[in-house]
Amino acid sequence: MILWIVLSIAVLSFSIYLLQIIALRRKLNENYNVDYLPPISIIKPLKGLDDNLFDNLESFCKQDYPDYELLLSIQDINDPAYRVAEKIKNKYPNLVRIVVDSSPRALNPKVKNMISAYRVSKHDYFLISDSNVFVEKDYLKKTVSAMSKDTGLVTNLIMGISGKSIGARLENLQLNSFILLSVCFLDKFLKMPCSIGKSMLMRKSDFEEIGGFNAVKDVLAEDYMIGKLMNEKGKKVVLSSYIIKNINEYWSLGRFLNRHTRWAKIRWKIAGLKYFTEPLSNPIFVLSFLPILDNFSKISILVFILGALLKIYFDIYVSRLIKTPTGISGLLIPIKDLLTAFIWFVPLISCKLSWRDNTYIIGKDTMIIPTDSVSSIRVIFNKLKTAFTN
Amino acid sequence: MLLCDFHIHTKYSDGSVELRKVVDIFGQAGFDAIAITDHAVNGDSLIGKIAYKFRFTITENNFNEYLENINFEAERAWNKYEMLVIPGVEISKNYLSSDKSAHILILDIKEFIPPCESYESIFLQAKKQQAIVVACHPHHIKGEIRNTLYLWNNRNKYGKYIDAWEIANRDDVFNVVSLKKYPYIANSDFHKPRHLYSWKTLLNCEKNIVSIKKCIRHNKGVAITLFRG
Repeated sequence: MILWIVLSIAVLSFSIYLLQIIALRRKLNENYNVDYLPPISIIKPLKGLDDNLFDNLESFCKQDYPDYELLLSIQDINDPAYRVAEKIKNKYPNLVRIVVDSSPRALNPKVKNMISAYRVSKHDYFLISDSNVFVEKDYLKKTVSAMSKDTGLVTNLIMGISGKSIGARLENLQLNSFILLSVCFLDKFLKMPCSIGKSMLMRKSDFEEIGGFNAVKDVLAEDYMIGKLMNEKGKKVVLSSYIIKNINEYWSLGRFLNRHTRWAKIRWKIAGLKYFTEPLSNPIFVLSFLPILDNFSKISILVFILGALLKIYFDIYVSRLIKTPTGISGLLIPIKDLLTAFIWFVPLISCKLSWRDNTYIIGKDTMIIPTDSVSSIRVIFNKLKTAFTN
Repeated sequence: MLLCDFHIHTKYSDGSVELRKVVDIFGQAGFDAIAITDHAVNGDSLIGKIAYKFRFTITENNFNEYLENINFEAERAWNKYEMLVIPGVEISKNYLSSDKSAHILILDIKEFIPPCESYESIFLQAKKQQAIVVACHPHHIKGEIRNTLYLWNNRNKYGKYIDAWEIANRDDVFNVVSLKKYPYIANSDFHKPRHLYSWKTLLNCEKNIVSIKKCIRHNKGVAITLFRG
């Protein structure tokens, strides 16, 4: 009986996966007309060396767009990214400005890194773009084309490319399946506002109406919060069909696990109980219960293998849709799905996460709780405990 | 200060990354000068013969092609990243005994130098080509069974030919070089992408080969840094 339940859940899981693929197909067929090209300030917060950093930054200097500026924002001139930023500025002196300032107060390091650049940015339209993003020449035009009068935020789909190490290959497989498909599904079928921090285009007037960076300076998922606040203000959050590229070449396995554990913890804090529906979009995870519950019988293993092959086929189909062939990495899909299945449990145990050399504890809606305040609470608790036990 | 790495391997010997990609890895990370230094291994020992068998070495036959490709990449790197790429080799005299083995970087090499020749002959040929001679990983490396100690053990004899000693190689630091006050540089001994994050040299000079060579030789305005991403 229980095996039939698992099998039924697996069928449901594959059906959801198919719906996600349909959502992606529909999203990719969306087109917008370009009728207004406003001047734009692009703000790029830099920290550390990302794979392909020079080319990523340069791709924003080669936009086929009439009027824009690129602000490279960095907190410390000793950061290795500063050297790369300087080279880009020397190459494109009229387009690029470097903003160095570590003074703003914000618990979110990315927000902290953008506040000064935002203040000195010239144009009313501004675009937040991560440093690990590579774009083609038509990116700005196509992203702006999705902006209408009632739109508060335009964000983009993302895919991972260029994986060379195992960690990077796993990362790209996850971005090009679970992340890409979930975002499209939420946007197309559940009509939920999805904002992806790697690329967010806004008007300053709308942004300030929701409280600007002040409103998101102490949350870890500032992108989600900006989308949510825009939506609450009655502004549309549009997911553009233009896919930006996240270059991940030489990631270690540890880095892949760290990123997706962090993202899982963020999703748990955002989604709450809805987080428990997430495994349904991982058919391999669901099917893995079959051999476990059936004492690894031949038939259960066979069904698991067939399910895994079907999932590989679906993911390869998705990769063709976004014109990024997986190649031999496709064989890693079941391993990736099982690894992310284990990761799914982690937020239920711990809400501590590390990102860019910092450790955070996050609360509801990813509110950052400084670790020093947690430790002082612990000190008080320990003192009280000692007082009562002695 | 110029951020430099003068000890880098590619697939021309035992590196795991193609020459073009190596240049891009360093260019993307904002380096100012690098030297490509694939192994040129002596073929007169068992280890050397294995290197020849598996083509982990530059030979007289492929040296010109190697140099041509480096020069092509040097032009591309300059145009794209404003990064200098200096052609070089790591003459690798490998024997079973650490005391007999030595590795020597020849930077700005122009003609092939046979690694089987005597040390003196190698040094003189390098000097004739106005190349820079660097004694690499000259002392004990932690966890390494086979070290390259010959030049250090014979430093009184060969020190005059050596323009700089590697004071740090990837994660190892050789404090003996500092104690002897020898001229120094620090390199990654790059074989894999993760080796990018290792000891490097900072030079306070103009960004051209003549100035860089002068700076290393005079060993003024030289600093080392542990490069982290």
